[in-house]
Amino acid sequence: MKGSSRFVLLAVAALALVALSAAVAGARSTANIRNGGTLTVGLAEEPDALDPTIARTFVGRIVFMSMCEKLYDLDPHLNIVPQLAAAMPQVSKDKLTYTIKLRKGVKFNDGTAFDAAAVKQTLDRYLTFTGSVRKSEISPIASVDAPNATTVVLHLSAPYSPLTAQLADRAGMILSPKALSSGGNFAQNPVCVGPFMFKDRVAGDHITVVRSPYYYNKAKVHLDSIVYRIMTDPSSRTQALRAGDIQVEDRVQSTDVPTLKSTSSVSVAKAVTIGYQGLTINIGNKNGLLKPYSNVGSDIARSQYLRTAFDLALDRTTINKVVFGGLNQPDCYPIAPVSPWYKPTTKGLACNLHANVKVAKQLVKASGISNPTVNLTLGGTDPVNARLGQVIQSMEAAVGIKVNVNATEFTTALNRADAGNFDVFAVGWSGRVDPDGNIYGFVATKGTLNDSGYSDAKLDYILNGARKSLTTKARDTLYRAAMQIIHRQRPLIYLYHPVNYYGISKKVTGVDIYGDGLIRAQFAGFTK
Amino acid sequence: MGGFLLRKAGAALVVVFLSSIVVFVGVRALPGDPALALGGENRDPAVMAAIRHSYGLDRPLPVQYLKWAGKAVRGDLGLDARQLSVAHTIVTRIPITLELAFLSILLGSVIGVVAGVIAAVRRGKASDHTATTFALVGLSLPHFWLGLLMIILFAVDLHWLPATGYVSFHAHPLQNLEHMVMPAIVLGTGLSAVLMRQTRSSMLTSLNADYVRTARAKGLPEIVVVTKHALRNSLITVTTVVGLQLGALISGAVITEQIFVIPGFGRLTLEAVNQRDYTLLQGVVLVAATGYVVVNLLVDVVYSLLNPRIRVSGKPA
Amino acid sequence: MSYVDTTATVINPRARRRRILRRRFLRRPLAVIGLVVALTFIVAAILAPWVAPYTVQQYDYNALLAHSSSKHILGTDELGRDVFSRIVWGARASIEAGVLATLLAMAVAVPVGIVAGYYRGWIDAAIARLTDVLLAFPFLIVAVGLAAILGPSLTNATIALGIGAAPALIRVARGEALALREEDYVRAAIANGASDVRILVRHVLPNMLSTLIVQATVAIPAAIIGEAVLSFLGLGVQPPTPSWGVMLADAQSYLSQAPRLAVYPGVAIFLCSLSFNLLGDGLRDVLDPRTTR
Repeated sequence: MKGSSRFVLLAVAALALVALSAAVAGARSTANIRNGGTLTVGLAEEPDALDPTIARTFVGRIVFMSMCEKLYDLDPHLNIVPQLAAAMPQVSKDKLTYTIKLRKGVKFNDGTAFDAAAVKQTLDRYLTFTGSVRKSEISPIASVDAPNATTVVLHLSAPYSPLTAQLADRAGMILSPKALSSGGNFAQNPVCVGPFMFKDRVAGDHITVVRSPYYYNKAKVHLDSIVYRIMTDPSSRTQALRAGDIQVEDRVQSTDVPTLKSTSSVSVAKAVTIGYQGLTINIGNKNGLLKPYSNVGSDIARSQYLRTAFDLALDRTTINKVVFGGLNQPDCYPIAPVSPWYKPTTKGLACNLHANVKVAKQLVKASGISNPTVNLTLGGTDPVNARLGQVIQSMEAAVGIKVNVNATEFTTALNRADAGNFDVFAVGWSGRVDPDGNIYGFVATKGTLNDSGYSDAKLDYILNGARKSLTTKARDTLYRAAMQIIHRQRPLIYLYHPVNYYGISKKVTGVDIYGDGLIRAQFAGFTK
Repeated sequence: MGGFLLRKAGAALVVVFLSSIVVFVGVRALPGDPALALGGENRDPAVMAAIRHSYGLDRPLPVQYLKWAGKAVRGDLGLDARQLSVAHTIVTRIPITLELAFLSILLGSVIGVVAGVIAAVRRGKASDHTATTFALVGLSLPHFWLGLLMIILFAVDLHWLPATGYVSFHAHPLQNLEHMVMPAIVLGTGLSAVLMRQTRSSMLTSLNADYVRTARAKGLPEIVVVTKHALRNSLITVTTVVGLQLGALISGAVITEQIFVIPGFGRLTLEAVNQRDYTLLQGVVLVAATGYVVVNLLVDVVYSLLNPRIRVSGKPA
Repeated sequence: MSYVDTTATVINPRARRRRILRRRFLRRPLAVIGLVVALTFIVAAILAPWVAPYTVQQYDYNALLAHSSSKHILGTDELGRDVFSRIVWGARASIEAGVLATLLAMAVAVPVGIVAGYYRGWIDAAIARLTDVLLAFPFLIVAVGLAAILGPSLTNATIALGIGAAPALIRVARGEALALREEDYVRAAIANGASDVRILVRHVLPNMLSTLIVQATVAIPAAIIGEAVLSFLGLGVQPPTPSWGVMLADAQSYLSQAPRLAVYPGVAIFLCSLSFNLLGDGLRDVLDPRTTR
């Protein structure tokens, strides 16, 4: 809908975010918490299907957090820790066999036992279910064995280091075999292991979960129930928080952050994401995504000078100030400064946080193209997109590049981008912990998200090499080389890393926001 | 009478059938591949194909239509992208819009009819001019702007009413009304303006009619003449106008629910359009069209009961 | 607007009628005010480059959300643009959509309605059913759907508004044609063997003109508001082109910081549509003496 940033709309699997301020709201003393009560969380979007097999929304993960535990989880510092697994997996030397020990005495929220057979059934479902979104996340798994009730063995077809990270997200959520075999639609009555269990859902309005009698660590659970209210309008979310109708506000809009900061009854938490917002430039996407690429011949595709000029005309600091109230993090790379990969891979590259109009003008001249024109496609008709489009337009006009803005609803824009029917497309990526997830798909010739139609044999060689390399140092070097090529050729111009803000009532304690941006409210409670 | 009803119902069925085709084709004419919307950040061609297959999007259009229409006749509108029953979603959302519509019609009718009667009775006097001017203002006001102004005044500045949102009447009657006051006023203003004009002109006709003159001649007090004779006749016209305004009311509900963030039927429509949720959108528009046709059928029937001459000519005035 | 030379009017009955109508019109102060305000908006729209102190694309990133001042009489918006200039430029979109959508609706509805009312029979029934189908869809949903299918732009919003307004006009035109068909002069023309086209163009169309003009002045403000709604929903005019609806949509994010941004464009929409409604009411009274007033 309007207002929801498409960046988030895209947010899918994986560890989307990394923390800058792993904000832990409220004091952590259990003594201060009273039992009982209903916590209401205002979600910024509507979750899609509540079946981890096909779920893809970011907000869906927030809801799953309270009712579908995973084999692995993240700690406040984003280290992977066991959750339903008893320990970290034992990995064989050839990295093709993972042995996972399971926690004992765990029950699903329908009272049935959680065991290795259930894990196998779920993972098999993820790998074979028609329309499974999880399949691509764990596709290197060739087969799953359950030698005994508490041991699961995964056999891989190729080494795949992000596997444990995937099992710390939706691909690691284990579904009740009884619920799966009941023949009903799992999404309408999901049953997993979790401190809360699904109660009801009214589309477009709310999802309610209630405290589970089967949970293995009931002492940690204080609330009777959690209501996730769908409140797509950002201003009304903030008003509801200030009025006390909700206690937790998902993603506060930039214009409301100052208001909330001055409200004494709430605190504001923030999370810098590892995602990015950028401009994809159509260079070779003539016949559509993954079809043979050749230069499309538009002004900006023809001239590397013009692409550089386009970039230098952008004042990232002003964009952040005018469009986002100064709350995001302007940057020039697909990897965020919060990532450990950032420093080694961007060393020595220049990032223009301010415009360089003089040089940009010279470059426009050097391109030899008179009156260059660029069509900018925006995926969303909301005011934020409108502001972004107009600001870019005005900045490019200052260096002599004419920008036509074309804003359409998101899916339509994506269709156009995939068909190669655009010059420049403003698009966001939710981000991945591993650099490969933020680069390969977009600029490698075989990348499934390469709307730019960019194809460079040298870059392909580097990126494929980085996938196979096992040492961090070797990968640092390779990704740095890749970044240099991207930075020079500019199939993508990166603008900023989104920063998420959350409002939390001071009446509750124990609501945690880690760097992944998810709201962890399952062990929260009202203060005495 | 039976034959007239049958003919009317038959025509309504034809309209519903044609509408269902228009809905089905129209939804597919929307740009934006629903598989892309369903796939999220995953745009692997294999995944896209699997999604299209599982939603039946790869089958020929007539086959898709027959499958959908066949189920729709039995009240099954399919599953949306959230894997929730579309029929159930619509059934839960409609009462919210109905409440809004009811309050707006109530508000609009009371204001419109009272103002209309006063204007007609005191024709040419100051109160008539005031009422007529207000009606004109009501017609010229963009309602969504009125909504924004009310939010600024009553929610942002005065903190009297919640700016947006919805609480069910069942859960909290008072809060429910607090949330509904502004939307109902916004939606009711336009209606009251139309009704005021209609009431005024039909009252003027009635007041000059023979039977009213006779009543006056009999020495009945003016208030009795106005309320018992003239007004009663005018109310028939008013009923029809409300029926005819239903389409405008639904349109108004879409934008009103959007501004006040009310999770009703109108907002559901916009959500379905924006999310490219074919099954949901088809269901929503089909239900809207059917509802409209049914209400108009009812208006025709009620009208013919009140005014038997219509049955002969077959067309309401 | 000036007074005519009297010599011509004595001889020419049409000019005489025109003079009577003009007198009747001028006796209605509200209608005259409506005409003057409507003309002001039209002139401002046409002369926008000269009337507006700034161009549409003059951004001042150092003066965001500024209050009224001598530099910017209505202040600046969230991107530092002059609000008054944007309102003047925005009149273009509104007037254009209002007038063109109405003309489009007329162009579609009048021939169709006349044919239905004049020939009656199966063709009337078929058109009636089709109109019913169109009317079965709430107007805004039709407009939203069309704008979504055709892509958001002023032209497409205008088309959507025109199509949306057509069914009601078809009914009006049909009703008029149905009634005119029974008039003596039309019957006489039929008896004289005049061709259908000649009858429709010479006798039917001219005699429904006054009704159509009144309908048009009602349809224009409806289309102006419709354009604002579509632009407000992001389905009409595209930024940076200013439109009152777009300005309101943008202002919605700043209701608590700068509510004035939501006030000015709304006042413009209101005044503009009110002026056309006043004009329409006046014309109705003047052209159609049957109305009780």
